Amino acid sequence: MLYRTAGQFKTSYNSDQALFPIKQDAFLLGVILLFALVIFPLTASEFTFQTILIPIMIYSLAALGLNILTGFAGQLSLGTAAFMGVGAYACYKMVTLMPWMNPIVAILFSGVFSAGVGVAFGIPSLRIKGFYLAIATLAAQFFLVWLFEKWAWLYNYNASGAIQVPNLKMFGVYIAGPQASSVVQYFVVLFIVSLLTMVCINLTRGNLGRTWKATRDMDIAAELIGINLMKSKLTAFAVSSYIVGVAGALFVFMWRGAAEPNLFDIPLSFRVLFIAIIGGLGSVMGNFLGAILIVGLPVVLNLLPAALGIPISSATVEHLNIMCIGSLIIFFLIVEPHGLAQLWKLIREKLIIWPFPH
Amino acid sequence: MKNFAKLAAAAVVASVVAGAAMAESLYTPNLSYRTGPFAATGIPLMNGQKDYMSMLNARDGGVGGVEIAFEECETGYSTEKGVECYEKTKGKAIVTQPWSTGITLQVLPKTNIDMIPILAPGYGFSPMMDGKTFQWAFNAPSGYWDGADMIVQFIESEGSLEGKKVAFLHLDHPFGKEPLPVLEAAAAEKGFELLPIPVGLKEMQNQSAQWLQIRRERPDYVVMWGWGAMNAGAITEAVKTKFDMSKMLGIWWSGHDADLAIVGDKGKGYKSISWSFPDVDAGVMADIKKHVVDAGMTESNETEMSGVFYGRGVVMSMILAEGIKVAQDHFGEANINAEQLRWGLENLNVTEERLAELGMSGMVPPFATSCANHTGHSGGWMLEWDGAKFVKVSDHLTPNTASYSDIAMKSAADYATANAPWPVNEECGG
Repeated sequence: MLYRTAGQFKTSYNSDQALFPIKQDAFLLGVILLFALVIFPLTASEFTFQTILIPIMIYSLAALGLNILTGFAGQLSLGTAAFMGVGAYACYKMVTLMPWMNPIVAILFSGVFSAGVGVAFGIPSLRIKGFYLAIATLAAQFFLVWLFEKWAWLYNYNASGAIQVPNLKMFGVYIAGPQASSVVQYFVVLFIVSLLTMVCINLTRGNLGRTWKATRDMDIAAELIGINLMKSKLTAFAVSSYIVGVAGALFVFMWRGAAEPNLFDIPLSFRVLFIAIIGGLGSVMGNFLGAILIVGLPVVLNLLPAALGIPISSATVEHLNIMCIGSLIIFFLIVEPHGLAQLWKLIREKLIIWPFPH
Repeated sequence: MKNFAKLAAAAVVASVVAGAAMAESLYTPNLSYRTGPFAATGIPLMNGQKDYMSMLNARDGGVGGVEIAFEECETGYSTEKGVECYEKTKGKAIVTQPWSTGITLQVLPKTNIDMIPILAPGYGFSPMMDGKTFQWAFNAPSGYWDGADMIVQFIESEGSLEGKKVAFLHLDHPFGKEPLPVLEAAAAEKGFELLPIPVGLKEMQNQSAQWLQIRRERPDYVVMWGWGAMNAGAITEAVKTKFDMSKMLGIWWSGHDADLAIVGDKGKGYKSISWSFPDVDAGVMADIKKHVVDAGMTESNETEMSGVFYGRGVVMSMILAEGIKVAQDHFGEANINAEQLRWGLENLNVTEERLAELGMSGMVPPFATSCANHTGHSGGWMLEWDGAKFVKVSDHLTPNTASYSDIAMKSAADYATANAPWPVNEECGG
């Protein structure tokens, strides 16, 4: 009923190929944008910004980057956190070497470095596939984290070996560092995440995206119909690492404020991979749903006992939380092995034909 | 994405409710870690801190008649959760107890804006001793550089260091690298060779490579800067390679009873510098037993309560409670705010008499803080494992702060420049 598509006729190819051919989808997006642009900034507390809104968006972006590589191009990667680290360290070096640089430009540009590193580590993908490739990207993970620890130039010879985000201004407003307000950081993150999401949606719908999908589904067949596998795989590595690198720069500059090398270790890679898998491989929206489940939900669950006035100690809440999230992950994957995005797709299809099942 | 709204709404409701529940008490959250990889060392400390505050609430009705709402927010030692806890508690909190070097580094730059004092007794960033630059941070009664200096003093008391070789086995992490500048300066001055041996976070349990290097290099001393699983790893490895335990010394976080209990007699002679000492017969312990343990409010047990870490937790809470008391007396009101507590922590004067009053004589050396000195530098004792427990083997050692105050001032100034604009309190003298 809500999703009735009757009466929405497409009279041109353009309207048929539009991003949102169904009016209700566009309407839904409008509502989400209204929340993101107006309602959240007006109502959210500092806590909501710092622990829910900003991290969900950043993790979504990182998962989106990984999804390009793993979900669209079919190349399994376990080095996401290391590529995020490359983005973060590149951004740090740029803003400390060239303090006049516009911070947003620095963040967007830092992805270029991680793209370069990503392509270098993507070269083995031309020879090896599947789990074997995962091991090769694991090498990137170990090597890069080691490099962040040992190459003192990267953290400006700081005695503690950690990087600290300086206060950065743009148009007279602090946008990074401890002086920046959460609302400003939220808008910067929202802007960059929306921009890159738009780029990704269009990339995956276009020529390049189709090449990736062909490579994923069957590389020999793809090669036979004239797809250059090397180009396809390496562009996937480049685009993916670029997005992951930007997410890493946002991660440190817009959210954490400081980072030590082991932050970019394997647990972060797995976290991003889980978001992508639970959200749905090969989808753009799934990354956001996955991040809400894995990043946002634990924070809300942590607040629940106190909000309901149940007196349990914080450590017990933490244990319960881990159990709840774990069982939810299993539950969702049993209900829909293809992830939350697929679940939403099915619900939507059912809504469209409702109330007649056939 | 619709869930966004629900999540945000839930969070807002929850924070409002949580805030309303906390009137008429002093909210002093503790970013605890009773879960995660460091839980074994965290639990006794957390229990000590909590039991002391519970004891004050039960015995005196809090401090100055106001109850202390000593709540824990679980971080599992994860920096991400730590920031979550900080954001969750900062609205009402009068103090932040960040509990890990990582969380301290994250929170430190925000304190100038949020105006909440950080209390990090015996950990955190050593240059925090400069109260002019770090107006909101306190690491009384001793910082890591004090510890490094006292260890060097102690080994020098066993004979000149000229030409000796000292291995520095440390966690490859901001925490482990912290004392390097002071040790390097000491090596240059006293003419010993410093051999830094890092232990990666992934190698904590298996240090065979590091100990192979130690065996090959044959250092005269091993100084250890370890935490969590690294301590037990190093101690068992040292026993296995038959390293002379009396030549192995650790920082205060490397002196956990449980780590040594696993090697028992073989660990005899291992030393750890400490600014606290557990005294089961102290007055404060009797009060904790009476008001907290017998009332069934503790999560601790007898073995744990006789350990170094539990005692240290008690001392930490005492520092906070004293800070609150000093502020209450000065401002003449019981319900102090964060800014007033900052003044209190800056004007601590815990004398020998005061310690006797508190029933804590000998559990911590007397110390005092000031506007320019947020650490106190009161020193500590060298503790030695006798096969079953830690005993004091030195007189009261005090650090020679003059030897590294230049490095501290420089680091503090560098920090302020890197984080410009950073307000510096010019009002304090010297």
